[in-house]
Amino acid sequence: MTVMRNDVVKALAKVTVQSNEQGLIPEYEVLVNLLPVSLLNTLAERLLAAAPERKTEIEAGLVRAAYECGYHTGCGIITSEIFSDVVMPMVTEEEKDILRGAYAAFTAWGWAKSGIVQLKEGQKLIIRAFDYYEADSKGDGLRAYMLQGLNQAFFELAYAAPYPDGMDTFVCKQTKGIEVGDAYGEFIVTGK
Amino acid sequence: MPLKLDFTLDENTYRHYLNGHPVVMHSHHYLALITKLVEDLDDINGPQILADTVEDTMRVLLEDYFQKNGITDTKDKGMVGTEYFSTFGLGKMTISGNDQCGEAKLSHSHIDEGWLRKWGKHPKPINHFTRGYVAALFAAIFNRSPRSFSVTETAGIVTGEEQSVFVVKAA
Repeated sequence: MTVMRNDVVKALAKVTVQSNEQGLIPEYEVLVNLLPVSLLNTLAERLLAAAPERKTEIEAGLVRAAYECGYHTGCGIITSEIFSDVVMPMVTEEEKDILRGAYAAFTAWGWAKSGIVQLKEGQKLIIRAFDYYEADSKGDGLRAYMLQGLNQAFFELAYAAPYPDGMDTFVCKQTKGIEVGDAYGEFIVTGK
Repeated sequence: MPLKLDFTLDENTYRHYLNGHPVVMHSHHYLALITKLVEDLDDINGPQILADTVEDTMRVLLEDYFQKNGITDTKDKGMVGTEYFSTFGLGKMTISGNDQCGEAKLSHSHIDEGWLRKWGKHPKPINHFTRGYVAALFAAIFNRSPRSFSVTETAGIVTGEEQSVFVVKAA
């Protein structure tokens, strides 16, 4: 048996996070936050509008924030009790199945309705996303900064050196985007 | 008057909603790095862009909740606002004051404790996010226009203080 994506998505989508008496959400070895997507999109739009001449620097900062979030939180997810209960019993192809399970979580928790379309183990990953909140943002050009960072992070968790030593092994480039009129967002992860 | 939480899921897109507004889960690594990014963009007023963005977007949620639930009393509005803050995982907030001045205190703070976990202590307060949230909450409580309150963080958990303190003044 390999990972049954639809079953995993349905099971994980039911998970909700709730704050403790300190108003914090300690889950997956991190402090989780639950924020309106309008806030995240608007911030990116306003930062870029304030300094268009520094677009490269600001975009890199937005991707880096998502990437480090994805790397550390992603490790917490794939070693969590819920992942162990729902995904691990289906894993027969090691890294490949763990990555499939991670992308089911990626969809279930609302980062992007996405999946793997091509995988060359340890070398290349192509992801397509058919719905993601950054597609709602206003601006010019491809701007799914969150997904670029998260895709790099997830591929590194599967195929780079074991956590926490695998950072900055791969790079993710966005090649298509719903925000620019394409039918889906496409993201390609390769070695640096 | 406890905050009512209605978590829903769009089973087609798998987007998640809280009280009708789309929300998404991230971690302290994300907000720590976003805070660092705006600090690095201080020359273009990055910290205030973050605070203003939080004020504008959070106010929409707060006022929508007040309207849908018929909440008009200032104390009830304040309670909803501080409970929402905790629901977002942002920490534990208390507020006091009136339409001219006030104060917000955090006994726990996602931004500060996240920064401490990631990089350790910082010599000055960095919680621009919560400055914006407090501005939104005071404006929503007292039915004022955006930017009606200036909020200054005078003490921060990130610097080693036991609590973060935000001083609020009518602008």
